[in-house]
Amino acid sequence: MTVHRVTFNHRAEPVTVKSGTLITEAAKLAGIDIHQPCGGQGRCGRCIVQVTEGKVRLRSSLRLSAEDLSLGYCLACQAVIEGDISVLIPEQERIERRLVTDRTAVEVEPPPTYAPNQQTLKRYFLTLEPPDYEDQTDDLSRLLTQLRVDLGFEEVEIPITLLKKIGTVLREGNWRVTIFLDVVPCRNGVPHVRMVEIFPEHCEDDSPIWGAAIDIGTTTVTLWLVDLWTGVIHAQVAEYNAQIRRGEDVISRIIYADKDGGLQELQELVVGTINQLVEVACKRVKHYEVKPNDILKVTVAANTTMMHLFLGVPPSYIRLAPFIPTFSQAPILRAQEIGLKINPHAIVDCLPGVASYVGADITAGVLSAGMDDTDKLTLFLDVGTNGEMVLGSKEWLVTCACSAGPAFEGAGVRDGMRATDGAIEEVWINSETYEPDYRVIGGGKPRGICGSGLISLLAEMFMTGVIDKAGNLNANLPTPRIREGEHGMEYVVAWGSETQHGRDIVVTRVDIDNLLRAKAAIYAGFLVLAQSVGVPLEETEQVLIGGSFGKYLNIEKSIQIGLLPDLPWEKFHFLGNTAVKGAYYALLTHESRERIREIAAKMTYIELSADNAFYEAFMSAMFLPHTEILRFPSVMEAIRSLRTPQ
Amino acid sequence: MPVEIPKEKWPGSVLTVTLGALPSEGGTRKRVVTVGGETTLPFLHFEGEIPNPPVVAIEIKDRKPDDWSPLLLEAWKDVIDDPAQWAAAAEAAGADLIVLALSLTNRNGEPTTPEEAVANVKAVLGATGLPLIVLGPGQAEVDNTLLVAVSEATKGERLALGICEDKNYRTIVATAMANGHLVIARTPMDVNLAKQLNILISDMGLPLNCILMDPTTGALGYGIEYGYSVMERLRLAALQGDKMTQLPMIVTPGFEAWKAKESKVGEGVPKAWGDWLSRAINWETLTALTLIEAGADIVVLRHPESVKRVKAAIEELMAAKTLVS
Repeated sequence: MTVHRVTFNHRAEPVTVKSGTLITEAAKLAGIDIHQPCGGQGRCGRCIVQVTEGKVRLRSSLRLSAEDLSLGYCLACQAVIEGDISVLIPEQERIERRLVTDRTAVEVEPPPTYAPNQQTLKRYFLTLEPPDYEDQTDDLSRLLTQLRVDLGFEEVEIPITLLKKIGTVLREGNWRVTIFLDVVPCRNGVPHVRMVEIFPEHCEDDSPIWGAAIDIGTTTVTLWLVDLWTGVIHAQVAEYNAQIRRGEDVISRIIYADKDGGLQELQELVVGTINQLVEVACKRVKHYEVKPNDILKVTVAANTTMMHLFLGVPPSYIRLAPFIPTFSQAPILRAQEIGLKINPHAIVDCLPGVASYVGADITAGVLSAGMDDTDKLTLFLDVGTNGEMVLGSKEWLVTCACSAGPAFEGAGVRDGMRATDGAIEEVWINSETYEPDYRVIGGGKPRGICGSGLISLLAEMFMTGVIDKAGNLNANLPTPRIREGEHGMEYVVAWGSETQHGRDIVVTRVDIDNLLRAKAAIYAGFLVLAQSVGVPLEETEQVLIGGSFGKYLNIEKSIQIGLLPDLPWEKFHFLGNTAVKGAYYALLTHESRERIREIAAKMTYIELSADNAFYEAFMSAMFLPHTEILRFPSVMEAIRSLRTPQ
Repeated sequence: MPVEIPKEKWPGSVLTVTLGALPSEGGTRKRVVTVGGETTLPFLHFEGEIPNPPVVAIEIKDRKPDDWSPLLLEAWKDVIDDPAQWAAAAEAAGADLIVLALSLTNRNGEPTTPEEAVANVKAVLGATGLPLIVLGPGQAEVDNTLLVAVSEATKGERLALGICEDKNYRTIVATAMANGHLVIARTPMDVNLAKQLNILISDMGLPLNCILMDPTTGALGYGIEYGYSVMERLRLAALQGDKMTQLPMIVTPGFEAWKAKESKVGEGVPKAWGDWLSRAINWETLTALTLIEAGADIVVLRHPESVKRVKAAIEELMAAKTLVS
């Protein structure tokens, strides 16, 4: 019998093991406990060790990058010892850091065609002839004449509030003024020009011109403060939409808006959130002193309901068949018209949406994801309270929205919560003892489970047989964690002794049903989109995932529960908040703004509630991973290898 | 010019399932019933094989039922208090199979005990040589308790045990596997749900040819089109090769038809409705025949006259085979 010597962490005393022993077994002999939350099946990646001398045979290299492998990293539970080796067991937090690197958001850069001073908001320095007894031309005409002579603008729109101050400004600056104009090229060649601000004297000609890109989400509002002159983002801030206290999802907000005074209240709440964000963002800016009044233009992306509420337009008809919004493209507004506390004349450019449930957040997202400019068949997905998705390429785009419900945002689930401190964000279940292990955001005691934690939990329960393919908990398993609760069967993820509030954290049968419905709705949406254009879903060349939730989505688990199509992992890309990025692009270049208009115009919208195919696809997806298991070959394979002893 | 009849060549076929076991197979049945095996849609003899005709089961209860139509109580009045006699009468009335539906309570109004259930099942098995289907009262926990006892006491008989539903199937499937029985998988009129339950059950290790599926249906005038369409789609999927839909189908037109006002109510209905008894029997017969045309392999009936008519119709539909060939 061949034996080998294994040295751990440079210890003097090696242990001797038979050939074919796993590193985890050898470690046990050496008295070292290697954490194996998944029960040693190579699924969780938590037992990463580094082989510094000698070689091992890897039964699985799942979860390891090529670089990891070249450095000798391996999963201790999958590494078969076939020679003398030295092993380093890294500190736990180092392991965790290795596992989360794929989640960092991408650096934001201006759109490719951006050049300084390309944006529509322009600064000009004018010097006017002062009036006298001979030249009795009024101030406004004098100004307009100068604009026509210097810049060739025939018509300029001036808000009454600016008109009120030009007399003073012209004289204070001794007929030298700095003027800000929003100049939008039009197809007939005559640009549409709006006056935004006028100051006495000529200011420094390379000082920042401030603008903001805003995404109003049902749950979160995001704002980027941008110097339009350089294209640089000086602050990125986000805050919960204050409307949340009047309803968690768009439908309950619409219902609230229909109540007496409800619409106005909701409008004020969201504008209030934005005003707060503006204050915070201005304070965050380094090297410049920025006041909200300096912001001269904003572009706004939002889902259709949020856009209606932002402008105070009744959203009632969005909820009623055949689901027609009042507008898809709002007119250009000034900040003072809707109560935004930035420069009162600032241009508010609301981006165009497509339909009641596919809004400007999606058209902006498609732009920033570059989906309208690629040859690759692309699936774009934005998961929030609603799952909106777009399939296509530069040739064509189809889109639909399905109501996934708020389960993935932690609502509608007993112990669900948002992804903040104290949320369980990942779970592993040991397939022999059915004991869970979990990671908590912030590292402290848990007080609930967030969306990514729920997906991970569902996948683990399924893969280990805690639930069957229909989501039924298996009461026959020998574990006290599966028990009869107040509302039927439940699984205890954390006992009260481990939690912040002292109560057990559980997932109930009802929760599981909600999660199944949410994932089924999204997958069914994919299928219906693909079927509507006659393309097999498997032919998708890339999947782009937007939305703040997308950042934390675990591809492997999401495929295991049948939320995402079973494609190679490298085809999935997380883009973070694509909506605000699209708004940022539109703020910076007219070309991007035009592309969003074109995207909105060319997208074909499929209303799923009028579609039998959706119901069919939904029922079929209400199963783990799916009734048609052939659609999920990798999951089939994973189950097979799990259930057959190695 | 000769007319060319277009024929479909289906890649799949329905599984054959045998109910009941002869003494030589470890049971006590005098005959067994095999259903399924179709390689074409119902009765398209020119296109494929219908090796086993649809069969008729008669539903009996372990005691006089509380909620059955007076017309049914009248039809079985001599035997209705004794399941063994009722079974023998059902066999005499032409049943191919007996369905024994256990009640929640015994005739004294007390909960049915496992011992009573076993005694009734044994009595029925003693009184008839036909294969037997045993259904629980329809409450998950009670079903599980009673059916486990019955299953263990009748090991090897190849009974069909029901009802397995997506929220309650494990116990019944486990006991069927351990004791050599079959199970009935019932889902509420949906192709996907039917497939899903079949997957769940076969995931436990029960071979597919030990499962009958009940896709649920409605009576004539009460959603039969919907049930028909689901059955038709299940059968089309089976013939197209989808393994999880290739199980023979059992449906309960007796239960459905006798719930309908047209069968249940004799007074206070429009005169134009005609004679109550013949209307009720027509209702059950037409419901059953429609479902047979949709692909049902086993129909569960209640009235002896309906049984006679449905059997005659099946015979004619099967006789068409000789006409074609």
